[in-house]
Amino acid sequence: MNALLQVKQLNKHFGGLHVLKNFNMELHKGEIVGILGPNGAGKTTLFNLLTGFIPADSGEVLLHDQPIRQLKANAIVGLGMARTFQLCRPFVGLTVLENVLVGSLGPRVQTQDLGERAMHLLAQVGLADKAQQASELLSYGDLRRLEIARALATEPELLLLDEPFAGLGSSEIEALSVLIRQLHSEQHLTILLIEHKLREFMQLVSRVVAIDFGEIIAEGSPTDIVKHPRVIEAYIGKQNPLNLDNHA
Amino acid sequence: MEILIYGAVTSAIYAMLAVGFTLIFGVARILNLAHGSFYALGAYLAYVLTTLAGLPLWLAALLSIVIVAVFGVLVEKILIRPLRASQLGVLMISLATALVVEQALFLTFGSEYRNVPAFIETKYNLFGVDVAGQRLLTLAVATVSIGGLYGFIQFTRLGSAILAISQDPLAAKYMGIPSDRIFSLVMAISAGLAALAGVMAGPFLSVQPSMHLLPIVKAFAIVVVGGLGSIPGSIAAAFMLGYAETIVAYMVSSSWTEIVSVLATLLMLVFRPAGLFGKRAAF
Amino acid sequence: MKAFKGLDTLSSIGGLVALLFLGVLPTLFTGKYLVGVLTVAAIYGIWAVSWDFMSGLTGRENFGHSLFIGVGAYAAGFLNVHFGLGPWWSLPASMLVAMVFAVVLGFPTLRLKGPYFALAMLSSAVIMQRLMLIFWEYTGGEEGIHDITPLIVNPLHYYWFVLAVLGGITLLLSWMARSRWGLILRAIRGDEATCLAAGLPITTYKIMSLVISAAFAGLGGALYAHYQLQVSPQLFAVVTSITIITMVYVGGMGTIFGAVGGALLLTVMTEGLRNFGEWRLMVYSLLLIFILFFLPNGIIAPIWQKIRNLGRPS
Repeated sequence: MNALLQVKQLNKHFGGLHVLKNFNMELHKGEIVGILGPNGAGKTTLFNLLTGFIPADSGEVLLHDQPIRQLKANAIVGLGMARTFQLCRPFVGLTVLENVLVGSLGPRVQTQDLGERAMHLLAQVGLADKAQQASELLSYGDLRRLEIARALATEPELLLLDEPFAGLGSSEIEALSVLIRQLHSEQHLTILLIEHKLREFMQLVSRVVAIDFGEIIAEGSPTDIVKHPRVIEAYIGKQNPLNLDNHA
Repeated sequence: MEILIYGAVTSAIYAMLAVGFTLIFGVARILNLAHGSFYALGAYLAYVLTTLAGLPLWLAALLSIVIVAVFGVLVEKILIRPLRASQLGVLMISLATALVVEQALFLTFGSEYRNVPAFIETKYNLFGVDVAGQRLLTLAVATVSIGGLYGFIQFTRLGSAILAISQDPLAAKYMGIPSDRIFSLVMAISAGLAALAGVMAGPFLSVQPSMHLLPIVKAFAIVVVGGLGSIPGSIAAAFMLGYAETIVAYMVSSSWTEIVSVLATLLMLVFRPAGLFGKRAAF
Repeated sequence: MKAFKGLDTLSSIGGLVALLFLGVLPTLFTGKYLVGVLTVAAIYGIWAVSWDFMSGLTGRENFGHSLFIGVGAYAAGFLNVHFGLGPWWSLPASMLVAMVFAVVLGFPTLRLKGPYFALAMLSSAVIMQRLMLIFWEYTGGEEGIHDITPLIVNPLHYYWFVLAVLGGITLLLSWMARSRWGLILRAIRGDEATCLAAGLPITTYKIMSLVISAAFAGLGGALYAHYQLQVSPQLFAVVTSITIITMVYVGGMGTIFGAVGGALLLTVMTEGLRNFGEWRLMVYSLLLIFILFFLPNGIIAPIWQKIRNLGRPS
């Protein structure tokens, strides 16, 4: 069976800088795959290209064998690929519930009772009691959950999480990992996740794609990746991947 | 040839207005719609101080510029700064201020055109074209003042501070540059320059309460075309627009001139929102 | 569970009562004067409400609303005087013309950030005003178009008609603002990129809301034309746009009904200031400054909120 997401020879330049070089990747239904790389490696650019937020220079992106590279961002969401942002931006002026409702207005949502569905999603991420609060007043950890709830509201098949653990404390990270694992198993979501903190990664993903300077430098299971010489090389001086106490 | 000279004069006036407008935007991110009012007040004050107070023109001009500069600083401090968080709030309040000034002028002076005396009454003949001396003087004054301003910004410490703030306000703050005081200074310069334009151009351009509106539209057009925050851009665009208008006035008819700038604005905003030299795009 | 607020019964009843009151008012104080003032107030209400729907909800303040008003009014004038069509044709025609302008202007300008959109619309209104003067052979120049036939001759009946239109538009736009439309527009105000990530075609919604706003502004313009029985380039003036924006600010941005209240309040107020005729615009401008500083939520909407909360236990 063909992969859910196929990325072929994807290229992006920013001015003279070749940010993503002939990137190839496949994602199969039901996987949780992590993209690992130091800052500036091209991870968020990859996400922005996949989700239609910036245009690629060349290459192909296929979702269910359908080319989506040229599509607009909102159209791609309509085909089942949703994303969260590294810097959470809630809809200022809207309540938490309304934030999720906005995500519920797309073509993939079949339910009639949107309000109930939104409350259900909030309950899933643990924000049900804050439904009527102003979204801009949430704590950082809660904002992350809201981001996920809003992305889930679009009824995605594939969920792209952009550094979901950034800026969180250790207990919040733990709780979020549990949530992500739950979403994966209960909702049968395929998840692609960016992080540069290896510890959180290791326990969550089944496969890791390591990138640096816009290229893939290694691919494999988390345990293999940690030992990979090129990965260690990319991280020396930036952070010690084997230092499991590192939260920063 | 006429087009060359008249175009230059028009461009010079526009440049004085545009440079001040773009300066305060570059430094404080303020789109000041009351900028035209400084121009109007410059002209009206010159009129009042000479006609009613009987002061000699040069003194009236000087006082006029100083008073408007102070007025500009006060407007910025009292009305605009508190609303700086919202760009639209600043737009609204500066526009409201412009309207208040217009109405005040209307109520005080009525809507008839007023006569601002000129520095030079005689006409000269330049390359076979009759030009009013005042227009030539305006051109000279504009060149000197803008050149002086440019030199000030490039070569003095205070000028560097201004540049620093326009490039990165936060970093400038951390380096101890007193941004609030610099805003006031820049506003004073901006308003003073506009007032100077009013004083110089008053004698040969119309002086009535609503005279602030078209300059604002044109200053905005120039700044958009040249690139918001770029002084060289504003100067270049001022000349482009000044000449475009003069050419249109001569070839077609003068009633089309206003449209030139507004159309230019729209087209620029649509096709290249950063302007010709600007770094900050409109979206 | 209801996802969207929907029209709220209390407010609807309140609106109905207000409407009835306004309708009855001129019968109590007879004379052309009051009817005239109230008719103009109602038309300003239509303009204000149409502005609030787009700009109040999305936060993209349109400084050129007068353009849609003007083209609607001129459309009415043209059809009626130059083409000799009956006055009732003006209503759909004015809406159509305004909508076309909204689409043409909306596409390039709506992707611009706040202040640039505002100023682009302002510039457009200025251009239109100029064009009316330049093509004076067709548009009548400064004088404009005269001798427009009235829709309804009896001033009181015309007033009731305008009031009904105002009521209908306010009801429709209030309902839309509290439905998924309003939610999307408010989300666009919140964060556009996130809207895209939520799967919404934001450009479509922005343009559609501008088109709706323009349609009703144009309709108001036609109603105005058939009231004043003439149109002039003054309709395109910046002052008109600013007056309307002030009314919405007074009423409370984004509340829709507040805009109506603001329009009524300000029109009546300026009539009261008639003795200081020349001071009218000055007062408006000062009022706007005052509100921007001290009452950013307006006057009407907060008062209505307080009245509603009176009946509630704290």
